[in-house]
Amino acid sequence: MPGAACNGTGGEGAQYRRPALATLATGVLVVLVWLALAAAHAAEPRKVIRDVFPAAETGFDPAAVHDLYSAGVVRAIFDTLYTYDYLARPAKLVPNVAAALPEVSDEGKVYTIRLTPGVYFQRDPAFGGAKRELTAEDVVYTYKRVLDPKLRSPWSFLVEGKFVGMDEVVAAAKKTGTFDYARKVPGFEVIDRYTLRLRLTDTDYNLPFVLAHDALSIVAREVIEKYGESDGRTMSNPVGTGPFKLGEWIRSNKIVLDANPDFRKVVWDFAPVQPGDEALVAQMKGKRVPAVDRVEIYVQEEDQTRWLAFQQGELDFLNMEGPLAPNAIEPDGKLKPELARRGIRLDRYVEPEIRYVYWNWLDPRMGGMGKAQIALRRALAMSYDVAAEIRVVLNGQAVEAAYPIPPGVVGHVPGWKSTLTYDPALANKLLDRFGYKRGADGWRTWPDGSPMVITYASRPDTLGRQLEELAKKSYDAIGVRMASQRDRFPELLKIEKQCKLASREAAWIADYPDGDNFMQLFYGPNAYQSNNGCTAIPEYDALYKQSARMPAGPERDRLYMKMARILEYYAPHRLTVSRYRNQLVQPRIEGYRRHPILTSTWQYVDVAPAGK
Amino acid sequence: MWAYVVRRLWQMIPTLLGVVLLVFVLFNLFGGDPAYVLAGKISNPEQIDNIRRQLGVDQPYWIQLGIFLKQIVTADFGASWSTNEPVSHILATRLGPSLTLLVPLLIIETLVAVGLALAVAYVRGSLTDRTVMVICTVGLSISILVYIIVFQYVFAYKLGWFPVQGWGDSFWENLVRYASLPILIGLVVSIAPNLRLYRTFVLDEINQDYVRTARAKGVSENRIMWVHVLRNASIPIITHVMAALPGLLIGAFLLERFFSIPGIGREVILAVERSDFPVIKALTVYVAVATMIVNLLADLMYKAVDPRVQFE
Repeated sequence: MPGAACNGTGGEGAQYRRPALATLATGVLVVLVWLALAAAHAAEPRKVIRDVFPAAETGFDPAAVHDLYSAGVVRAIFDTLYTYDYLARPAKLVPNVAAALPEVSDEGKVYTIRLTPGVYFQRDPAFGGAKRELTAEDVVYTYKRVLDPKLRSPWSFLVEGKFVGMDEVVAAAKKTGTFDYARKVPGFEVIDRYTLRLRLTDTDYNLPFVLAHDALSIVAREVIEKYGESDGRTMSNPVGTGPFKLGEWIRSNKIVLDANPDFRKVVWDFAPVQPGDEALVAQMKGKRVPAVDRVEIYVQEEDQTRWLAFQQGELDFLNMEGPLAPNAIEPDGKLKPELARRGIRLDRYVEPEIRYVYWNWLDPRMGGMGKAQIALRRALAMSYDVAAEIRVVLNGQAVEAAYPIPPGVVGHVPGWKSTLTYDPALANKLLDRFGYKRGADGWRTWPDGSPMVITYASRPDTLGRQLEELAKKSYDAIGVRMASQRDRFPELLKIEKQCKLASREAAWIADYPDGDNFMQLFYGPNAYQSNNGCTAIPEYDALYKQSARMPAGPERDRLYMKMARILEYYAPHRLTVSRYRNQLVQPRIEGYRRHPILTSTWQYVDVAPAGK
Repeated sequence: MWAYVVRRLWQMIPTLLGVVLLVFVLFNLFGGDPAYVLAGKISNPEQIDNIRRQLGVDQPYWIQLGIFLKQIVTADFGASWSTNEPVSHILATRLGPSLTLLVPLLIIETLVAVGLALAVAYVRGSLTDRTVMVICTVGLSISILVYIIVFQYVFAYKLGWFPVQGWGDSFWENLVRYASLPILIGLVVSIAPNLRLYRTFVLDEINQDYVRTARAKGVSENRIMWVHVLRNASIPIITHVMAALPGLLIGAFLLERFFSIPGIGREVILAVERSDFPVIKALTVYVAVATMIVNLLADLMYKAVDPRVQFE
C-alpha cells in the first residue's frame, strides 16, 4: 500500500526504515571497530618477538625456581654479577653489573668485586617511587638469601659451605627458625657502596662461574619483604635490573616481557667467533640492548602445536627436539631445503650435557672394587649399543659421549677415545672368564650359581620405554636377564637419592661451563646428592680433591684425563650421548645465536625492518 | 521435598569423607615424594628433611589427614607446592577458560544429539537410520587424539580457518576465535556416542501405548516426537547430561593442551606431573562435591519433568 509507505506508518513503513537504520548501525560498528583496531595498533609495541616454552613456568624468584624455562625469564628480568659473552665458544665469562672480572687473591680464597655504579632496579612501589640503585649490600643480601633454610632454595648447593662464617648463620637459622640477615660474617665484606670482598673457606677458582648463575641474580630486599610469600619466596613479583620487566602473565600459558625503560645503557658489541657470526655482527653491532620492545612467550606442551604455530609464523623460535627433529632436519644435520628456501635458519650445537647409564656402586653384586664386579660392569658397558640409541631413540639428534666433560665446556677433550666401546663379543668373553656362566636356558647366573637378574629403571613415557627396550636388547645379547622398574620421575629420584636404584640412564646438563661441574658427579662424597650411581673410587676421589683446588688449564686437564681413564677402567657407568639442540629461527629475526649456558638471550636479538 | 533435600545433603558428608580418605591414601601410596623434585639437582638428606618439614609431609598421617579435613571445612587449600600460587587463585583463573570451552560444547552437543536421536529414531530401520548408526560407530571408534591432530592440521594449519592455538583476554574473542575449533572437535567426538544412547532412550518410548493413542487422536507427528516422546525420554537424558556436568570442573585436558587454553584440565595434568598435592586435593574435593550436588539437582529435575516421581 503506497500511501501507508509514504506516511511512514504501518508495517511497510517500518520495512522502509530498516535499511536506513541498518546502514547507520553498520556505519557506527565499522567506525567503532576501526577505532578499536587503530587503538590496538597504536598500543602495539614496535618490535615484538615470540618464543615458546614446551613446559609451564613455575615462577620468577631467582633463588627458588629450578626449571629451565622460569630461569630463562629470570635471566631476562634480573642481572648477575657476571654473564657470558654472547658469541664466544666455549662460553667465556664477562662482567655484567660488575665493573670487571673479580680480583682473585690468597690462592683463590678471596675475591674482590667492584660494581658498576648507575645500575637501577626497575621502578616499583616497593621502592616508594624512588629510583633504586643496585649496591654491594644487595649482592650480599642475595647470596645470603639463597642459604636461608626457610626459602629451601634448590640452588643452595652452589654457595653452601663456601663463605667464611655462613655455616654458623645457617645453623642458627635452622635452630631458631629465623635467618639473621644483619649478622656480619667475614665471608661477605662490604667495603663501600660499590665494592665487596668475598672470603671463601677453601680455594675455589670456579666461583665466578657460580656468581654468573641465574639463581644468584641480584634481588632487592625491599621487594622481597613487600611481596614475599609465606615461605619467603617471591614467585610472582620479579623486580630486577635486567633488560626486561614482567608485563602480562597468564600462568602456564603466556608470559609477556616488556623492555625495561630504566635499563642502563648497554650496546651490542661482540666479536665474531663461529662461521656466520660476521653477518650477525654486521646486523647488530652498535645497537642498544635490548633491541626489541616486547617478548611474548607461549607455553605449548604439544609438539604438533608448536610445530604448526612456528610454520604459520606465530612463533619466531622453535627448538626441534626429540620426535620433532625429523620434520625439519635432514639425517646429515642440515635444514630441510623447503624450510631453508623460506629463509628459516637452523642454529645447531651439542648441548653441554652428558647422559650415562650407571650401575649402583653400593649393590653388593654389581658395585664395588671386586674384580668380578668390575668385569660385570665393563661387560654391561660394552654391551650397550650407543649408536642404536642415537639412531633409533634420539632420531640421530645426538653425538656419542666419550669423555665425561661434554663439548663447549672447559676441560673437554675433542677426539677422546674411550676404552669402553660397543663390543658384545668381548663382553661375553669377559663374563665367561669371571664365572658368570650361562645356564641351560641361555641366561647367565651369578658366580655363586644363583639366577642373575639386573634391574633397569625408567620413566613410563615414550623415551623411557625406548631406552628400556634398548637396554634389554643389549643385555639379551650377553645373556643377562633384565628386570624393568618403571616409575614416575619423583619416585625414581627419591630411590636414586637414597642410593637404592640399581641402574638407569641419568643426564646432567652444565650449571656452569667448567669441567668440575661434571667431574663432581662421580666423586664419592657426593653420593646421596649428585653422584647418582653412588660411585666411590678412592683413586678417583683423591684426584678430584686435587683438581678442585686447581684453576682451569693444561695441568688440570691432564688430571681430568687420568680421572676419565680411571672411570673407564672401573666402569661405574657407560657414557652414552650428548644431544643436539636444534633451534629454528624465523627470517625476520636478526642477531640470533643460541648460547649453550645462558638460559635466554632475547636481549641480544632484533627484528628485521619490514620488507627486508 | 525439603526434607528429602536436607536428608540428601546430610548423606553427602560420609560420602565426602570416603572420597577424602581415598584421595589421601592413594596420594600417600602412589603420589611420589615431592621433596626430591623440589630439592633440585643436588640435594642432601638434610635439605630433603627441611623441605618435607615445610610441606608438612613429615607429620604423622593422622595429622596430615586432620589438616586436609580442616582445609575442606575452611575451603582454604593453601598454595601450590611448585609455584606458590594460592590454590583458590588457580581454580578461579583456570575455570573460566575451561567453561568457555565446555559449556557451549555441552549445550550444542546435547541439542544436536537429542535432535538427531529423535530424527533417526523416527525413521528407525531405514537406510538413513542405518547409515547414521554406522557413521556413529566409526566415529566413536576413533580416538580424540586423532581428531585433534587431523583437525588442527587441516582446518587450522592448511586451510587457515581457525588459529592453530591461542587464548586472549576477551571472552568473545576466546569463544569465537580460539574455542571454535576445539568445540567442533569436541562435538565430533561426543555426538556419536550420545546420539546412539539417546536414540535407544527414544526408541524405548516410541512404541509405548501413549504414542499410539496420540496418533489415534490425530496429534501431529511433530508434537508426538518433540513433546510426548521427548518428555518421557528426558529422564535418562537428564541423568546423562547431569553426570557430565562435574566433568566441566576437570576440563578437557587434551583439547586444552593442544590448543593452549589455560584451563583447569591442563592444571590437573601439571599438578599430577609435579606431585602438587594441594592442587590435586582441592580439585578432587570440588569435583566430588559438584558430583553430589549435581546428582541431587538431577533427582529434583526428575520431579519437575515427571510429576509421577515421588521423593521418599
